[in-house]
Amino acid sequence: MLKIENLTATVGEAEEAKQIINGLTLEVPAGEVHAIMGPNGAGKSTLSYVLTGRSGYEVTGGSATLNGENILEMEPEERAAKGMFLSFQYPVEIPGVPVMTFVRTAMNSQRKLRGEDEISAPDFIKKSREIAKQLKLDAEMLKRPVNVGFSGGEKKRLEIYQMMMLEPKFLILDETDSGLDIDALKTVAEGVNAMRSPERGMLVITHYQRLLDYIKPDKVHVMAAGRIVKTGGPDLAHRLEAEGYEGVLGEAV
Amino acid sequence: MSTALRDLIANPNAAELELVARYAMLPEDARRERAFEAFAKGGLPHRRIEGWHWSDFKAALQVIETPAGAGAMEDPLPADGALVFAFTPTGFTWPEDLPEGIRVLAKPEAQAFGASEDMPLGALAAALAGGKSKPGTLMIEVTGQDLPRLHFRFSGAGEANFARVQIFLRPGAQLTTSESYLGGAGFTASLMEFSLQKGAALSRTVYQRAGTAEVLAATASVQLDEGADYTQTVLAFGGKLARLETRLTHQETGAKATMNAAYLCAAGHHADLATEVRHGAVACVTRQLTKGAVLAGGRGVYQGKFFVPRNVGQKTDADMQHNALLLEEGAEVFAKPELEIYADDVECAHGNTSGALDANQMFYMRQRGIAEEEARALLTEAFIAEALEEAGELEEILREQARAWLAR
Repeated sequence: MLKIENLTATVGEAEEAKQIINGLTLEVPAGEVHAIMGPNGAGKSTLSYVLTGRSGYEVTGGSATLNGENILEMEPEERAAKGMFLSFQYPVEIPGVPVMTFVRTAMNSQRKLRGEDEISAPDFIKKSREIAKQLKLDAEMLKRPVNVGFSGGEKKRLEIYQMMMLEPKFLILDETDSGLDIDALKTVAEGVNAMRSPERGMLVITHYQRLLDYIKPDKVHVMAAGRIVKTGGPDLAHRLEAEGYEGVLGEAV
Repeated sequence: MSTALRDLIANPNAAELELVARYAMLPEDARRERAFEAFAKGGLPHRRIEGWHWSDFKAALQVIETPAGAGAMEDPLPADGALVFAFTPTGFTWPEDLPEGIRVLAKPEAQAFGASEDMPLGALAAALAGGKSKPGTLMIEVTGQDLPRLHFRFSGAGEANFARVQIFLRPGAQLTTSESYLGGAGFTASLMEFSLQKGAALSRTVYQRAGTAEVLAATASVQLDEGADYTQTVLAFGGKLARLETRLTHQETGAKATMNAAYLCAAGHHADLATEVRHGAVACVTRQLTKGAVLAGGRGVYQGKFFVPRNVGQKTDADMQHNALLLEEGAEVFAKPELEIYADDVECAHGNTSGALDANQMFYMRQRGIAEEEARALLTEAFIAEALEEAGELEEILREQARAWLAR
């Protein structure tokens, strides 16, 4: 599924460029959920931006492939059409563009890039209704501009709504638990768990173990200084919670 | 041409000589003469004249000729259910049947234009409107409500198209008007005058499009009496040089003006949105929102002024906002928002921004699979949409026009 080998990447322009990803290697097979944990500044969010093609992030070495295809050369929208989806830590407000318009445009753009037919309006609305119900999203909210005036929890639920609508192949969840109360966290986690399937991979980036109580990972990776320094089972997350990064990493390095 | 006429304009260029020649062909008329003299004093306004620095008509208009490839451009504003007054370079048509509440006089002679010194191209339109098949002044008196929209269309291939329209709204009258400037002439100059008496309400929409060889000056003068309510929405795509100017005076207390505009300029297109609002009475309200988006090689100009005199302008409530998007490297936007306030008990605010599209928004949309061009179009449409919201039944048509431009 997603295979990253010896990846190096910088952030910033020319002389200001700073290497943030330092030879990162990671593989998430189809059907698995992997968590990445790590202290502030480890490069977790940078990794998510590098994988999805945000400008300002330059790959200087290594590779990243999705189902054998090199994604690093693709435009962000091409990667999306190939199935990459990033749930943003801070979802962006888009004044003047209603949620439904936005998601339908995104869905049809992806289909166009893949050479598929557009979704019909009735099919789109039916699908939207079902998913909104599942996520306890108000229908009125979907008529409002994307994320404008939404609470932190609403924004995160809207990310999951988009994910379920677009049905990507590979999901990256960047700090999806931040800003959520326990009820919202449960709803979001239910949505994510509903997306688990043998064909789909997930990378869950989080500071805290809390989210992993609800989204059970197959593997936990610890990231520090731009690479994976330790990999283990779900119990590694509990150890990190108990002993802190220093305790665990002191032993690992 | 007599020497006296030739000497009217100092160092004239070929276009100005042509304008003098056109004036000489029109029947003698003292008011026309005064209007032409007001124009001739400075000739075509140029960069060294205040308010024309970024929009140099003398440079843009070297000669007056039919632009190459000028054709019929379809009018996006619907004629259905509207009363259409169409001005072409050589002719004029108007509806035969008029409903009660609207009286139209097509006068051969010019009417006095008091503010001719401040609006040289308005004065020019006043001086050169008329001739064999066109009215010198089209006067419209409105007394009713629930009337069909009055639509003014300026189009057709030719050298020049001049028009002058005066609209009087009697107390309590209500009217919707629209203007389509569709290009076709090398030079188009119009003067629209609106006089709203007590409690009258007018909604005016202006659509402007022109080729890169076409020059336009659409000048409007608006007078508001007590409690009058004036709403203006402009969508301009520019031309070689297109200036849409409105001068509005709050003459009596409690008048309200909403003056919104959006401009979208592609390469070779220059749009200048100029407004001046005079708060000449107590407790009048002005709301102005101008939004623009410009591509490489395009130029947008916004010049807005609120003038609030000391004694009569108390309790003024006015807000001026201009926001522009520079969509590409090489796009140009010039803005000059001005508040000139002498009264002390007023609420006047203004804001002015210009910049690129938000990189976070662009990435968010592209991450969801929306192609870069489409993301840019969606964001730009959303950005300018607010400025079109007051156009009533025409809002959706203006948005479609903007969308089609963005999708090119």
